[in-house]
Amino acid sequence: MTALRSWEGFLFAVLILIYAVNAWSSPVFLTPGNQINMFQLSVEKIIVALVMTFVIINGEIDLSVASIMGLAACAFGWLVQAEVPGGWAIMIALMIGLACGAFNALFIVGFGIPSLVVTLATMIAFRGFARVLVEDRGINAFPAWFNHLGQKGLIGPVPLAMVVFAVLAVLAYLILQRTAFGRKVYFIGANRAVAEFSGLDVRAVKAKIFIASGVVSALAGILFAARVGAVRGDVAQGFELDIITMVLLGGVSIFGGAGTMSGTILAILIVLALRNGMALQNITGHIQTGVLGILLILSVMVPIIRETGGRLIARVR
Amino acid sequence: MPPVLEMRDISKSFGGTAALSGFSLSMEPGRIHALVGENGAGKSTLIKTMTGIHQPETGDILVDGQPVSFRGTADAQRAGVAAIYQEPMVFPDLSVAENIFISHQNRRQLINWSALNDEAAAMIARLGVTLDPRRAAAELTLAEQQTVEIARAISLNVRVLIMDEPSASLSDHEVKRLFGIARSLRDQGVAVLYISHRLEEIFALADTVTVMRDGKHISTKPVTEVTQASMIAEMVGRDMAGRFAREPSKDTGEVLLNVSNLAKTGVFRDVSFTVNRGEIVCFSGLVGARRTDVGLALFGVAPADQGSVEIAGQPVTITNPAQAQSLGIAYVSEDRRKLGLALTEGITANITLPMLGKYSGAFGWLDRMHELADAQAFRKQLNIKAANLTVPVGTLSGGNQQKVMLAKWLNTKPRLLIVDEPTRGIDIGAKAEVHQILRALAAEGVAIIIISSDLPEVLSLADRILVMREGRIVGEFTGEDATDESVMHLAVAAEVA
Repeated sequence: MTALRSWEGFLFAVLILIYAVNAWSSPVFLTPGNQINMFQLSVEKIIVALVMTFVIINGEIDLSVASIMGLAACAFGWLVQAEVPGGWAIMIALMIGLACGAFNALFIVGFGIPSLVVTLATMIAFRGFARVLVEDRGINAFPAWFNHLGQKGLIGPVPLAMVVFAVLAVLAYLILQRTAFGRKVYFIGANRAVAEFSGLDVRAVKAKIFIASGVVSALAGILFAARVGAVRGDVAQGFELDIITMVLLGGVSIFGGAGTMSGTILAILIVLALRNGMALQNITGHIQTGVLGILLILSVMVPIIRETGGRLIARVR
Repeated sequence: MPPVLEMRDISKSFGGTAALSGFSLSMEPGRIHALVGENGAGKSTLIKTMTGIHQPETGDILVDGQPVSFRGTADAQRAGVAAIYQEPMVFPDLSVAENIFISHQNRRQLINWSALNDEAAAMIARLGVTLDPRRAAAELTLAEQQTVEIARAISLNVRVLIMDEPSASLSDHEVKRLFGIARSLRDQGVAVLYISHRLEEIFALADTVTVMRDGKHISTKPVTEVTQASMIAEMVGRDMAGRFAREPSKDTGEVLLNVSNLAKTGVFRDVSFTVNRGEIVCFSGLVGARRTDVGLALFGVAPADQGSVEIAGQPVTITNPAQAQSLGIAYVSEDRRKLGLALTEGITANITLPMLGKYSGAFGWLDRMHELADAQAFRKQLNIKAANLTVPVGTLSGGNQQKVMLAKWLNTKPRLLIVDEPTRGIDIGAKAEVHQILRALAAEGVAIIIISSDLPEVLSLADRILVMREGRIVGEFTGEDATDESVMHLAVAAEVA
């Protein structure tokens, strides 16, 4: 009963419920092939959601992640087309992600401009660069090994991107919940003035998070290119909203200072299982999106309902 | 006079803890009724019940002898019951007049601004204060914002005005003006409930005083029949008068901090003083005398522009809090919410925050058992009352929050501890404990600077008292020689002294 009172406990119960309903209504749902497919379709978004959890708990927002994904993917395609070896192209694309993150950090930390404004601007700018690089024609002449990495299993049937997600999820959990860095992330988000007063390196922590956000987004963009086998200027466009939705559903406060990595991971699983279950019932994508929207509103309302409910019960007593 | 508002046998509990049990109070028009009690005695719950925020479980609320039930603040307001708090609630971007008439909605007409401003000015004049009704509330001082709040209550025909620690953040002459306002309200027939931790204010202002303890009514007497000692004894249920006595100095005579001619343009200047190991030096003066600015300069939050600082004989230039910490300086801020604690985070995490390096190994991995052990030691040493050490600090009482803040900075093992308003807004029992902790630290050889507006506190703790006024040190006393009058005289106007 006490486990249910925490947000994570509630999410876990919801997840079990969704899995049970899906398994009952479709025999395919629990098969390994479908489970892998379920992850694989959104794997880039959920990788970025991990680092977005740090950003939002820190009291900031990064709207440019999807544009960095697009820019890194397009830069990779452009480099391959220019006959740069694939390994180098990956390295350079990752460095571009790092540079994008550092650029965000410079304006947010260096000049003190709110991250909402800075990353809204760079969301547009980075997307613009991606379109300039690749325009509308698309590039799909990737090396065979690269496409294999994206599409074939790496460990048994599990593809590389899922392995990357699993490793990053464990790392993100440990860093956020068990290290001094993670503790600083929480306190800076909860009360920046207190953190500064206590001698924390607030600017360094924020800069590191935005740079990590850039690098991880670039990695996700490259994984996307490998999975789809082609890039265009609009790769990953609009993904930032899905990513932020998952993090907020996970119980991370948009005001910073509260939330957990396990909350985000549970929310990711819920969103994936819900979408997959509806897809198996032939429910169209638009309705799926609508259901997720309602889910997000409910998730914001549940704590409020619980509080007023508790008050009503207290009054009746 | 028949009472305008009566609370009869009110009980209210939260999660099994009784905040009020069988509490009764009667408010008469044209009287100032003081309410005193330790933090946690149930004063806040009482106010919230009187203003309709909480509903009593048993008992009756009577207005003019008729039983009523307040379902919300709007109901209470309609019955003429309003409250003002330590932190005024005003709309910063609206003018004084707009703030006063915010609850008067007249949807049919355009606003007649000159009439509105005139009416607001008249409302303020009734309080014996002058204030331009066109000024934006954000530009006003805290005291002026309070005046606006009171005027708003009057505009709603207030008959019972509750003032919850209105003087806690005010300077001395602002408190005097507040008293004037309270008296003029009383003379106009308003029943005033005045709540304060400063017992001396009660003698200056109130007609009647009620003491409450543990949610129960202890006594109601005319103020002429009580003494500070008798009130304190009733509040705490034991005789505490002797606990504020002076103790022998622990001064070692060995200089730790030597500040000379410290200055910050437009803020303070010519600040020179020393603090020895084991010595307690108090900075006294009015709010706004720039004492806190000197402290913040020493801690590197807002560094000084000129002057020199030596610590243990070494010249230092302090530019940020991390560096100040590494020099062995700790600063317990007066502002618990803004600078002291992250209220949503747990007790342990708040305590260990400045010292995370001490608890982290390879890759910054935190040794949580070590953190917990240290926090547990402080909980025991400082008598921090909490269900467990992971509860958010914001759920603790003011006194316990203050102790957590002390623990946080003691954990840095400071050589110099600066404490700004160590006991503001905390109850008398916790206050005595905090004083004991500070004395014990001095005995261990820590140099202590206390910035305090609480004169009895300064007089009982200080080995030396430095009085500041308008950004300068204007006088110095030894702890034994100082009296309330001599210090206050200097703080207000040194030339006359």
